Amino acid sequence: MFIVADNFDGDSDSPGEPGGIRTDEWSECLALIARHQDRAAFTRLFRHFAPLMKAFALSGSTLSANHADELVQEVMLKVWQKAGAFNAEKAAASTWIYTIARNCRTDLFRRLQKFDTPLSAEDVSGEEESEEAFMVLHQKRSRDRIRELIKQLPNDQAHILAKVYMEGKSHTEVAGELDLPLGTVKSRVRLALQKLQIQLER
Amino acid sequence: MTNFHPDIDLITEYTAGCLPLAQSACVSLHVTHCRRCQRIAGELNNLGASLFEALEPVHVGDTQLHAVLARLDEEMPLAYANKKGNASDTPAILQRLMRGDFSDLTWKNIGSTLRISYLKSGDPQHEFALYHIRAGGRIPEHTHRGSEMTLILQGGFSDANGSYHKGDFLLRQPGDVHAPTALQSEDCICLAVLDAPLKFTDWKFRWMNPFLKLRTA
Repeated sequence: MFIVADNFDGDSDSPGEPGGIRTDEWSECLALIARHQDRAAFTRLFRHFAPLMKAFALSGSTLSANHADELVQEVMLKVWQKAGAFNAEKAAASTWIYTIARNCRTDLFRRLQKFDTPLSAEDVSGEEESEEAFMVLHQKRSRDRIRELIKQLPNDQAHILAKVYMEGKSHTEVAGELDLPLGTVKSRVRLALQKLQIQLER
Repeated sequence: MTNFHPDIDLITEYTAGCLPLAQSACVSLHVTHCRRCQRIAGELNNLGASLFEALEPVHVGDTQLHAVLARLDEEMPLAYANKKGNASDTPAILQRLMRGDFSDLTWKNIGSTLRISYLKSGDPQHEFALYHIRAGGRIPEHTHRGSEMTLILQGGFSDANGSYHKGDFLLRQPGDVHAPTALQSEDCICLAVLDAPLKFTDWKFRWMNPFLKLRTA
């Protein structure tokens, strides 16, 4: 049985780790699942992430509580099945889990709308992760930076980012809902991204 | 290395999962082969994850946990088991939609230089089609009633605004008029995703306009 060290803080990893290997609790859990089909590790992941997934499922959407529960189960099952594909050197565990949740939610919406398609959201998510070392390091830095800077965003910008990312609404939908011109929504998103230092050109 | 990319608004919507299926597929074909856009998409995924982690958790009971634990021994879908090993130059999602290669498709000839093959992406609002333009061939001047995304899969073409090559991504807005000409060196194949039919402005082809319908799903 795996014992959780006392000094593990689930919400943060150790950015200054030599060699750049992530050693946060969630990456460890994924590694244990991949290597030993460790159910205790899976249970820990579930207790932390399932409530976030449920919140994500219910964010600004029309999903019923039943569908939200179905989504949570489906995402957690995928996490179990795909844990072997997780590479802690390339991505943060939370980012990896979030993208699975996002893809599953999109697929669920499409199933509910009776789309007849051979493509899943994962197929078109462009997740051919880069093997290049510079990219790996870059993504880690970007993640730590974004986590810090996001706390300093003005409310209106943070609110719009949440609508786009958590509620999965397009700029046009957000504009309609908040009764703002499309240009205003776009510029708020762009401003927020600039503050988070996410830019096309650097 | 490509020179024409989706803009930041589009990559934001793409990574947030709010683009329609056909448009996502088109953007993904660019992103998987473009280092710059891959970097941005990766950062935006990190942004999504930060917002995700900051959500107010909603209680999930032990019944749910046990229901999932009971399902862990389910057989894994084959799709995860062997995803790699695709040696073909044709992108995997296109292979899936085409059920074969470019040569296996049914093409519809439009004049002597252009032929079109409509694929079923499953998106009810967008036409998802491959355009094959003969080397040096010119597409009659046309305008767009809606938006048009184009991704060059092979060869290249040029119009009054520039010349575009394999991997380049273009977004045309309603009202944009152009007459693309394929490069002389080889045939050009591109993917076009439309939300409204084209409209030919070239007088020789205007008669076709009433017959151009959007072929979706």
